[in-house]
Amino acid sequence: MDFKIRAAKQEDCKEISRMIIELAVFEKMQDQLKISTQELERNGFCSNPRFECQVAEVSEEHKSSQGYTVVGFVLYYYTYSTWMGPTVCMEDLYVMPEYRGKGIGKGLMSKVAQVGKEKECTRLQLTVLDWNTRSLDFYIMKGARDMTASEGWLALRFDGEALDKLAAEAPKD
Amino acid sequence: MDFSIRAANLEDCKDIARMIMELAEYEKVSEHVKVTQKDLEQDGFSKNPFFHGIVAEVPEAQRTKDGHVKIGYALYFLSYSSWKGRCVYMEDLYVMPEFRGKGIGKALMSKVAQLGMAAGCTQLNFTVLDWNKASLDFYAAQGCSDVTASLGYHVMRCEGAERGEAWPNTIEDRQ
Repeated sequence: MDFKIRAAKQEDCKEISRMIIELAVFEKMQDQLKISTQELERNGFCSNPRFECQVAEVSEEHKSSQGYTVVGFVLYYYTYSTWMGPTVCMEDLYVMPEYRGKGIGKGLMSKVAQVGKEKECTRLQLTVLDWNTRSLDFYIMKGARDMTASEGWLALRFDGEALDKLAAEAPKD
Repeated sequence: MDFSIRAANLEDCKDIARMIMELAEYEKVSEHVKVTQKDLEQDGFSKNPFFHGIVAEVPEAQRTKDGHVKIGYALYFLSYSSWKGRCVYMEDLYVMPEFRGKGIGKALMSKVAQLGMAAGCTQLNFTVLDWNKASLDFYAAQGCSDVTASLGYHVMRCEGAERGEAWPNTIEDRQ
């Protein structure tokens, strides 16, 4: 099946939003989803974007049963490792179920690696849920190392009231 | 003990580079550190910086035996969650051993949280090694959650080549 990987445009945010919801439902965390299409547009397509996005598109003749031609996306941003330098962080990688197994996921991930190279990134980082063995296998096949399993890295987080409380205790300027 | 927390500037990169190495030695990975003082200057203080930094400073009267007054730092950057929107990621938090237990680490982390929230962030994320009990206890005491333990998140990484050298154009399947 022919498909094209291209940089997302503002008009794609509606489809990207739809697929973010599909991915959240798959990860059984749809109740955690708080942002809207408008916020995606505001944060990704402004003068100082917080993320970049690539989409996978098929031709009209291969559109989904509901008429979608944008069938996958990858959302990423740039971070920094004090050991290695610039890093690209892949926040979401998703291909609609009926379009899997055709190289689209690999195409999207390769595009991020290529874009990362242009920015002199030496590392590509992502997180995966431990029960999602299919995705874990996919990434390991692509050369990723599980840093949690191999080196004991744990992902920690402050949000909600804990974040409010921590911020309130910051020293005054 | 008096200390002050302020935004890092270009001149701080020498001390930040020193403290990055101290932290890497503590984490037993100093051979992995490739970033130099010059890299920090270029990457953190150019038109489109990859990171932001804050430093903790003590008065001259409390300088270390080697003469350092910059005795702690935090490096952070803005990231994004497709579910929650803007987030802040704390890459490093470090206080020199002889200055610990005086509230400096907490002050640095609180400042990152405050700056992040001022930029519209609703999450502060970071990683810690599972054997680093002192740090895990410190963070837990501040109220953070371990989303590896609670939600099952694993950190995955693809390493490229050295900076400036060939990086795979495509992610190839391993044989």
